[in-house]
Amino acid sequence: MKRSFTTLTEATLITAVVQHGYGEIITDALLEVGIQGSTVHGAMGVGIRERLGALGVAVDAERDVVNVMVSSDEVDRVFERMFLAGKLDTPGMGFMYATPLMQAATYVPPSILSKYVGS
Amino acid sequence: MARRKTIRFGDYIQAMSIDSQKVPYQELMPEPLFDRHGNEHPQPVPKMKLGGGDIFKILQPYLSTRFIDQARAVVPLAIYLGLFQYLVLQTPVMDASIIAGGLFAVMIGLMMFMEGLKLGLMPFGEIIGNTLPRKLPLAGVLFIAFLLGIGVTFAEPAIGALQVAGSIVNPDQAPYLFTLLNDRSGATVLLVGLGVGLAAVLGTVRFLRGWSLKPMIFMSVTPTLILSIIAFMDPELTKIVGLAWDCGAVTTGPVTVPLVLALGIGVAAAAGKGADSSLSGFGIVTLASVFPILGVLILSFYTAYTVPAEVIIEKAAEIKLAAQTATSQPQWYEVTPWTEVILGVRAIVPLVIFLAVVLLVILREKLKNAFITYYGIILAVVGMCIFNIGLTYGLAKLGDQSGGLIAGAFTSIDAITASPLYSMSVGVGIAGLFAWVLGLSATLAEPALNALGMTVQNLTNGAFKKSMLMIAVAFGVGTGIMLGVLKLIYGFHIMYILIPGYTLGLILTLLSTEEFVNVGWDSAGVTTGPVTVPLVLAMGLGFGNALGSTDGFGILAAASICPIVAVLTLGIYVQFKVKREERRVARELALEGEKK
Repeated sequence: MKRSFTTLTEATLITAVVQHGYGEIITDALLEVGIQGSTVHGAMGVGIRERLGALGVAVDAERDVVNVMVSSDEVDRVFERMFLAGKLDTPGMGFMYATPLMQAATYVPPSILSKYVGS
Repeated sequence: MARRKTIRFGDYIQAMSIDSQKVPYQELMPEPLFDRHGNEHPQPVPKMKLGGGDIFKILQPYLSTRFIDQARAVVPLAIYLGLFQYLVLQTPVMDASIIAGGLFAVMIGLMMFMEGLKLGLMPFGEIIGNTLPRKLPLAGVLFIAFLLGIGVTFAEPAIGALQVAGSIVNPDQAPYLFTLLNDRSGATVLLVGLGVGLAAVLGTVRFLRGWSLKPMIFMSVTPTLILSIIAFMDPELTKIVGLAWDCGAVTTGPVTVPLVLALGIGVAAAAGKGADSSLSGFGIVTLASVFPILGVLILSFYTAYTVPAEVIIEKAAEIKLAAQTATSQPQWYEVTPWTEVILGVRAIVPLVIFLAVVLLVILREKLKNAFITYYGIILAVVGMCIFNIGLTYGLAKLGDQSGGLIAGAFTSIDAITASPLYSMSVGVGIAGLFAWVLGLSATLAEPALNALGMTVQNLTNGAFKKSMLMIAVAFGVGTGIMLGVLKLIYGFHIMYILIPGYTLGLILTLLSTEEFVNVGWDSAGVTTGPVTVPLVLAMGLGFGNALGSTDGFGILAAASICPIVAVLTLGIYVQFKVKREERRVARELALEGEKK
């Protein structure tokens, strides 16, 4: 069988760095809006505890980093959803950003692919 | 050619439910500072000013998750005990508001203590574990591990339960038991600590040399059993055996396990060993449960040969008399909040001083984030004090009461006028079932068991499922507590449970592989936490008192051996299943090969 792959364009990567435990909450919220394939990994955050002073003990230095690729049209919607789910309007909770992706590739089911690509 | 997906602008507006505005990040950042040579100057770190709403938003999840962790262990047990009393024993909970307050104190205290342990004591353990082996020769490291073992025993929250339990013991019936738990309780805890210290040393050496756990189990359990049998033959000392074996379950709690492990693993990692072995970390808990038993037995022999029983009884009477005359005007340190506070401070502060001396004097290291460490230590001390108050008024009181009342199911007691409520066989059945469900549910709620289950599942590549281990251990603990209760009802000696139990355990150990031996023997120590231990101890003593039995101890001991047997048995079954699967696959592969 001849192998081929399809490059997806107009994709954006949204990354959220949040307190440990909130990664799962965000991925659950993402599944709710129909976004699959998010990646979560652990990290250590530095800086906020020093600035918060005594309250810093309530902020977990251990972080979850959530990476998810979305179509560029959906960035605003998903970005807002993740912001709300991760409670990023709380001091010390974390931050998030979106980066345009030059190209991306993954498995695209042939039934869907055939609608967009002429054989 | 990909078709672009279009979104109607109206849908888009609706989907954006909150206001948003845009600010260039540049405007938020401070200007870089330069000195007159043009070098960049470090930025001062301004403290953030937060409003009340933001402080609440930070603290709310921090407090609620930690509180819920503890509530999950305490609340179901309390509800179970309360409902059981009300529905089956037809007696409402006495002093319900005091007990509720006490249980609340237990939850708050444990929450603060665990957080303090994580922030204040664990960093010490990690730094010492990582740097000590590089700066000191092995003998010095082992000596510090030994001292640490003693220190952590005093800091263990469940140890306080022994002292509380001691006040329930009747000195006329069991003089040596009384003296070990009251005027000599310090010596008892010290001997337990020596046992834990020895276990820490041996466990660390085991990590280094990669010794098998099996011979160590045989070499520690066999003499302990023999000494127990000798004590069992003695008419006075026979009452101590239950206590001695209970001490093993008490020692391995939330302070000992992580701190001693951090040191042991640090030593092994510094020697370039242990990191590769997924089993590192196991074994110390087992040894730390067995050696204290040996320690308490030896102390009781020593006491028996040096002090005659009559002296103790006289002394106990004197203490009682003194207490009665003094009740009108008790000293400030004998009144409720202060006794618990002193106990709490005495438990934690020596350990902290010891750790600080090792760190600052021997290692000459500085603490990173000293503020957070101080906060953690203060939190641990305050939490321990609150926990101790809750222990006296919540857990011990509730356990004592339920234990005392459950006897009313099959025999006549003063507290329940209609007792016996049921016929002998039904009543005993109810008491047994009550104990079984209590042990089962208390164990399943223990967070340490969840963690152990995860480790085992990874160790065995999923052959031994987490849920399977949890059920096996909980089943074992439930059965053990039930056996302990039956022992009290029928008045047979704890040795009749321990000897067959441990013999079976040793035989199964011979048949099992190293992994399952490690997991099985550790499972018992890991699972008896700071909520279960005081509750079960007090329940046993209250139950024993209601029945007029002298020896309310031994329930925890029975609850320690049963999970070992359960896990080892299950382990052998899993091994057998895996082997059969392997043989089947091998056969199929061979068949396929023949076809080709």
